[in-house]
Amino acid sequence: MKFGRTRTLATGRRSLRFAFFVGACMATVAVGFAQTEQAPRAGEKAAPTGLALKARKALVVGAEGESFVDNALVLVKDGKIESVGPARTTVIPPGYEVIDCGTRWIAPGFVDLHCHIAAGSLGDLNDTVYMTNPELHASAAVTPNLPALKLAVAGGVTTVLFIPGSGSNMGGQGILLKTGFTKFEDMRIRDPGSLKLAQAGNPERWAIGVGRSHMNWNTRNTFERGLAYATMWERFEQGLGPKPERNIQWDIFRWLKAKKTQVSTHTQRYQVVLATLTMVRVGFGLDVYIDHGEWFGSKLAAYAEEIGVNAIIGPREVDVPSFSLDTDGAILGIAASYQKNGHTKIGFNTDSPVVPQEELSVQAAVAVRYGFDDSRQDSMRGLTYVPALTAGIAHRVGSLAPGKDADLIVTTGDPLDPRSSVEIVFIEGRRVYDAAVEKRRW
Amino acid sequence: MILIQRLLTCCFFAALALPVHAVPFQDEGGDAKKDEKQDDKKDDKKDDDKKPEDRWFAVVGGDVYTGTGAVLRGATVLSKNGKIEKIDFDVYMPPETKTLDATGYRVYPGLVAISSQGLLGNSGGDFEDTIDPFNSRMILGLATGITTTGSGSSAVKLKRFSVDDMVINDKIFSIFSWSNRSPRGKYDLREKFKNTSEYLRQYREWEKKVKDQKDLAEPSKKNVDGSCLSVLKGETTAKFVNNDADELLGIARLAQEFGFRPVIEGAQEAWTVADELGRAGARVILTPRDRRPKSELQAREGGTSIENAAILHRAGIPIAIVPSTEGVDLGGIAGRDIIHLPIEVGFAVRGGLPEQAALESITITPARIMGVSHRVGTLEVGKDCDLIVTDGDVLHYKSFVQYAVVDGKQVYDKERELFYAQIRPRPVAAEAKKVDKGETAPVKVDPAADAEKKDGEKKDDEGKDEEKKDDEKKDG
Repeated sequence: MKFGRTRTLATGRRSLRFAFFVGACMATVAVGFAQTEQAPRAGEKAAPTGLALKARKALVVGAEGESFVDNALVLVKDGKIESVGPARTTVIPPGYEVIDCGTRWIAPGFVDLHCHIAAGSLGDLNDTVYMTNPELHASAAVTPNLPALKLAVAGGVTTVLFIPGSGSNMGGQGILLKTGFTKFEDMRIRDPGSLKLAQAGNPERWAIGVGRSHMNWNTRNTFERGLAYATMWERFEQGLGPKPERNIQWDIFRWLKAKKTQVSTHTQRYQVVLATLTMVRVGFGLDVYIDHGEWFGSKLAAYAEEIGVNAIIGPREVDVPSFSLDTDGAILGIAASYQKNGHTKIGFNTDSPVVPQEELSVQAAVAVRYGFDDSRQDSMRGLTYVPALTAGIAHRVGSLAPGKDADLIVTTGDPLDPRSSVEIVFIEGRRVYDAAVEKRRW
Repeated sequence: MILIQRLLTCCFFAALALPVHAVPFQDEGGDAKKDEKQDDKKDDKKDDDKKPEDRWFAVVGGDVYTGTGAVLRGATVLSKNGKIEKIDFDVYMPPETKTLDATGYRVYPGLVAISSQGLLGNSGGDFEDTIDPFNSRMILGLATGITTTGSGSSAVKLKRFSVDDMVINDKIFSIFSWSNRSPRGKYDLREKFKNTSEYLRQYREWEKKVKDQKDLAEPSKKNVDGSCLSVLKGETTAKFVNNDADELLGIARLAQEFGFRPVIEGAQEAWTVADELGRAGARVILTPRDRRPKSELQAREGGTSIENAAILHRAGIPIAIVPSTEGVDLGGIAGRDIIHLPIEVGFAVRGGLPEQAALESITITPARIMGVSHRVGTLEVGKDCDLIVTDGDVLHYKSFVQYAVVDGKQVYDKERELFYAQIRPRPVAAEAKKVDKGETAPVKVDPAADAEKKDGEKKDDEGKDEEKKDDEKKDG
């Protein structure tokens, strides 16, 4: 859909359709948009037409190394990327709509694995019933078409993992969403997107008198019981045991055991990150990643890399000198510390609205400023490929490879540079944002 | 004291220059006489002039972005006693000149933050007694490139290690309140301006007449507001902190009615009334990343826009940019505080502000607003030698300030401070020619000796690196 600004009377105001937002007022800061009548209904799947995008540069962003095409032509068909190659040698099939982006760049849409803004209110999201609530679903709160989501699109963020807050140790299940669509069914990539785990740093605030020892015991207890349930089902499916009674409280653990989803952990400090690694990864053998990674968890980078735990860094990107850090006054980039200590799969998150969703690229820029080595396109990869891989959706998003979803952003230059503006955003080949039409860019 | 010194200097130069110019050609006989004369002069100088020798400082080899729009690649900025003497190529430098090699780097004017908090220590009121010139935040300020900052109603230089002559202008602003929430306040302010401007008119008439009629009574100062008076007299600048479009319009009308140029801080909806603000001669201090939704009840455009700065610039309004957090705030979310000032400016460029205007928004424009543009804000002959040497475009997120110079003195070196030294250390080649300590005359450079020196330094540095690595291993 198009979400243009309302026009002044002087410039001929378009008649406004009533913009309805479920959940009424937004707690998050965002610019209010209203729907315009001329806007096509992007909520419905568009007719499959081919698309040919010409650009100065296309950032392909592969699994490793630097990967881009100068003077590129990107072909899109049926919402998927058909090919990415030099404009000189690529033949545009007949009937394709050609969009010449001139000197602009094309990059994969950004992926944020720590987002809280797809609901009308944060209260819908931080349902701290028990200390561990693996059965709650963030999907119940998803509200398409929110102003904050529109700004996310304007900032180039096309995929988010919308997760419960960290008020309890297990806030519930996240959901992977495409930001730019107006129908929930179109937005949904995978539900459950993850099981949200928060080991420490926040939950203490809610449960007074509970410290890390008990929290760790309780979390471990929940995992043990959930996985025991999942094992019973696994044995039944293999014909080795009786059919267990279904208990929806533990269903998420069947997904986890089958490696169809991951544990996303809000984990920051050394001992908390260590608990993530030893308990969830080594102890239970689940797919888990460091989400909301900050501070001196980076000391465990080499170990995390060794056992295959990716690190998604944010919302804080720098570490201040303090006694506990022992940095001799140096200001450390957290991503840079992870990298320096031997981690190769580093991504970035915003924890929106803590950092506004549309500023995801700035997170990477700040990381680079504070020493993150981007000579091998690692900063761009941290915004796209690494989070996609981490969430198990790299076959669909995260790079400009044939067969993947055509989630593309057209920018005026280096997508990381605050000076660059996102001009056009395609999600699954559909133009969901165009600064030239909507004027108000981010 | 300074005045006397300057007078003496002038006299001395005048005296020295006269005989040379007066007798360009001399026969041999006259030569001896001239020497005698000059010797006399020198003796005189020693006796009665205790002035220290001139302090020469030059930044050589960098691409000089003067801030006026000009770029001189590989030029020299020469300063004398803290003032820029020359910006040119192949500049003659007196032998005692201390030099800073900026080859491969860019040289920009020191940035001017129109407001900041904490960079001066816990300063307040009487700056020279309260500023802490050894404060670590001042180092962070210089590391950001800031060499001058507004603090309250004063413009203060980040003169490290010294509190002398830090304040370059004070009593800059008179702050007024203009709020829709208080119609009475708006009425009162208008009345104050009305009364004051009436008083000023009467006073000027009286001034003319009193020359002839000595006993004419001075007009009464009753109902005259001191702040309004100083604004209307042009002694201070009227400053408002407002965001709503209708409040901005009110300020514009007030300013036009009484003939002053307001400075408006905040100005979130200014882009919707840019023409009116432009006509009123307003200057604006804004934060490109400010966020505020448009009221859904409001039919016209409103709220914040990333294009605010660009639209105002197109309307001819000078803009100064500040980040949303005016202090140093590393504990929170990086990228929004005063040490990321150039990154904040990047967002104005994102909204369409031209790069040159973006640079001006943190150099000459705030300097003009604070009335210190004759001293700082651009690199021009006669201005203070406040400059920064960066390893790239100052607005690029990856660029770091390598050196900062205030009043022709190097006050910051990235490699010598703890904060950023470990981030992309300078290549050793660029390290080779550091600022000369000044014990011996520099300039003459023996390539062989220089190479040795480089090697020596390289080894030293490597040693340090290894130590650092060991430390880190221990940490891990």
